[in-house]
Amino acid sequence: MNLSLEAHQITFRYAQENVLEGLSLEINQGDFVSIIGPNGSGKSTLLKNITAEFSPQEGVVLLENQDIFKIKKKNLARKMAVVPQETAAEFSFSVWETVLMGRMPHQKRFQTDSEQDLAITRRAMELSNVWHLKDRLITELSGGEKQRVIVARALAQEPQILLLDEPTSHLDLQHQLELLELLQSLNQTKGLTVIAVLHDLNLAAQFSQKIILLNKGRIVAYGDPAEVLTSKNILESYHIEVAIAANEITGRFNIIPLSKHKGKNKKARNFKIHLLCGGGSGVYLMEQLHQAGYSVSCGVLNIGDSDWKKAKELQLEVAEEAPFAPIGPAALQVNADLIQKADVIIVLPVPFGTGNLANLQQTAEALRIYGKRVLIVAPSQAGQYDFTGGEAEKLLAQMAAQGALCLPSPQEILESIGDE
Amino acid sequence: MDARSKRKKWRLMLLLHCLVLGLISIISFTIGPADISFREAVGIILGRIPIFKNWIDLGQYSTVDQTIIWSLRMPRVILAALVGGALGVTGGAFQAFFKNPLADPYIIGVSSGAALGATVGIVTGAATTLGLMKIPFFSFLGAMLTTWLVYSLAKTGKKIVAATLLLAGVALNSFMSAIMSFLMVINSEKIEKVFLWLMGSFASRTWQHVSIAAPLILIGVLIIFAMAKDLNAMVFGDSTAQHLGIDLKRVQLVLLLASSLTAAGAVAICGTIGFVGLIIPHMVRILAGPDHRILLPFSFLLGGTVMVIADTLARSLFEPLEIPIGIITALFGGPFFIYLLKKKKAVSL
Repeated sequence: MNLSLEAHQITFRYAQENVLEGLSLEINQGDFVSIIGPNGSGKSTLLKNITAEFSPQEGVVLLENQDIFKIKKKNLARKMAVVPQETAAEFSFSVWETVLMGRMPHQKRFQTDSEQDLAITRRAMELSNVWHLKDRLITELSGGEKQRVIVARALAQEPQILLLDEPTSHLDLQHQLELLELLQSLNQTKGLTVIAVLHDLNLAAQFSQKIILLNKGRIVAYGDPAEVLTSKNILESYHIEVAIAANEITGRFNIIPLSKHKGKNKKARNFKIHLLCGGGSGVYLMEQLHQAGYSVSCGVLNIGDSDWKKAKELQLEVAEEAPFAPIGPAALQVNADLIQKADVIIVLPVPFGTGNLANLQQTAEALRIYGKRVLIVAPSQAGQYDFTGGEAEKLLAQMAAQGALCLPSPQEILESIGDE
Repeated sequence: MDARSKRKKWRLMLLLHCLVLGLISIISFTIGPADISFREAVGIILGRIPIFKNWIDLGQYSTVDQTIIWSLRMPRVILAALVGGALGVTGGAFQAFFKNPLADPYIIGVSSGAALGATVGIVTGAATTLGLMKIPFFSFLGAMLTTWLVYSLAKTGKKIVAATLLLAGVALNSFMSAIMSFLMVINSEKIEKVFLWLMGSFASRTWQHVSIAAPLILIGVLIIFAMAKDLNAMVFGDSTAQHLGIDLKRVQLVLLLASSLTAAGAVAICGTIGFVGLIIPHMVRILAGPDHRILLPFSFLLGGTVMVIADTLARSLFEPLEIPIGIITALFGGPFFIYLLKKKKAVSL
C-alpha cells in the first residue's frame, strides 16, 4: 500500500473559530513534504490533527487506511514519531536517558532496555549529532541542542513517518542545514516519510519534494516546490511581493522578498519611471525604485543581459531584443510606448555602440519634442562608454542643454525622485 | 553511565536502604518510657516470625516488654513507615503528573480533600454500615475529587501553570478547612474526635489501623510503581508522552485513582501531615536521579525512614508530652520549601 497518511475533510476549531476548514490531503509513503503558510494559517494545528494529538470535530485522519484514533497509542508511536515545537525540560534527565525513552513504544511495561535498544539509541544520537552530549543534563542544554536531542529521541522510535513542527526555529544556520540534510538522507536511503512545518520558504524549496501551502485553514496549493512557490501564491498568502530567482549554480531557486504589498505608496504607484540601462547598470535602481513602489519599466534590453534578468525577476515591463542583436524596429516600438507613458526617464551609464544608440536617440527625441523629464547618471569619465565615435556623447550633451538633469550617481537620482 | 551498571547500582541502593529502614525501626522500638534494649527488641520480634521462632525462646522476655513492643510500638512504627512511604510516592507521582517540582498532596490540597472527606464521614456518621472502612472510603472520595479539581483549575489550555497550581492549592486548602471547621462547629459533640485525628498523629494506633491502611497504601503504591515509565515520559509534557505511545487519558485516570487511594490511606490513619511528600522526592532526585523507576521505590523507603524518625522524635523529645508529628515535619519542611522556591531556577529539579 503506497498511501501513507490521509486526511478527509477535517474541520478543527478551538473555540468558535475554525482553524482548519474541511481540509483534505494525502501524503504518500517516502515523501518529504513541507507545510508552509503565514502565522495563524493552521500549520501546527494541522500537524497536531494528523498526529492524533487533537481530534478534528469533523472528518477523519487515516494512517495506512486505519482511523488514527482507533490505532493503539503504542502502535502509533512505533509508526509515527513527532518532534514538537517546544519540549518541557523541568526534570534533570540526562540526554542519554531522554533519548532512550524513544524505545518505550517497543518495550513492554516492565521490560528493561535491551542491547538492541541501547544500540539503536546510540545510532540515533550519532545521526543527530548529540552523542557527545550524552552525559549532560537536558535541563542544561541550549534550545538548539535540546531540539536535536528530541530529534534523536524521535529517531530512536524507528518510525516510518517523522513529523516535525518548525524543527529549525531554535537552530543556527549550520544546524538547520545539518538537520534538514539528515532528514533528506533518511528519506532517500531508508524511505522515511518526512512531514515538516517549516518557516523558511527557501529551505522548504531546497529540501522538500512536495510543499503544502496553507492559508486560513485551507490548502492553497500542494505539489512540487516550483508549482507551489509562485510569486502569485506567496503574495496571496503572505501579502508580500517576492521575486523567484532560479539559482543557476545549484539548480534550485531562491525566494527574495521585495516589498510589503499593503504598504505601497499610492502616489508612488502611479508614478512611472523608465530606465535606459543594460549590462547590470540598472540593477540597483530597479530594485530600489520597485521597492519604493514606483512602476518601473526598462528598455531596450537584450535577452539574457543581467539587467534583463533582474527586470524579469521583478516582473517589470521590458522592451526586449534577442541576445547580442542590434535593436530592431519591433523592440523600438515597445520602447517608444514605454517612454511615452513614463513620467521620468533615467539614463544610466551604459556602453553605447551602434547597436543600442537608438535608445538614446528615442530619449533625446522625447525630451526635445514632448518635454519629458530626463535624469542622466553621468559616467565617471566623459566619453568612457562611448563606442559610437562621439555620437552618444553629443546626444547626452544636447539633452543636458535642453534641461536634462545630470547627477553623479544613482543614489542622487533616488533622492531627487524621492522629493516628488 | 552504562545502563546495566546503573540498574545494579539502583538495586544496591534499594537493598541498602531497606536495611537502613529496618535498623531505624528497631532503634525506634527501643525508645520510650519502658527501657528495652536493641537486643531484646530484635529477640521479641524474631520470636514471632515463623522460621526464626524455632530458635528463640520468648519466655526470656517479660510479657510487659513483649506487649509494649508488639502491640504498642510496632504498629505505630509500621504505620509511620507506611504513611511516610505513601506520601513520598504520591509526592513523586504528583510532581511528574503536574510537571512541577513543587507539587505534593499537602500543598495542592489533596490531603485536605481527604481530610474533609473523612470529616464528613465522621460527623454525619453516614457510613456506619461501612464499618472500619468508613473513614478511608470518605477520604478516598475527597482526595479524588480534589485532585481532579486542582488539575482542571491549574490546566490553562494544554499547560499546567505552576503559579495557578499553587494558588489553586492554597485556595482549596483554606476553602476546605473552612468547611471542616464549619462541620466541627455544628457537630460540637464530635469536635474532639475530629480534631484529635486532624492534628496528625500516630499515637495509640493499633494493628487494626495497620490492617486498614496497609492494603490501601500498598495497592496504590504498587500501581504507581507500575506507571514509572509513563511518568518519565509525562515530565516532558503531555503531547510528548502521547507521541511516545502513552494512552494519556487512561494513564492519568489510573494515576489519579491510585494516588488518591494512597493519600486517602495515609490521611485516614493519621490526618494531614505536610511537606514529606514534597521533600522526599527531591532528596531522592539528588541521590539517584529523576528516573521514576528508582525515584518511586526509593521515595517509599526514604519517606518511611524519615517518618519513623519524625514520629520517634515526636513521642520522645518532650516525654511524656507528645508533639503532633505534623509540627515536626512542618518545622523542617517549611524552610526547605522556601529554599526550593528560591532555588527553583538554579536547581531546576
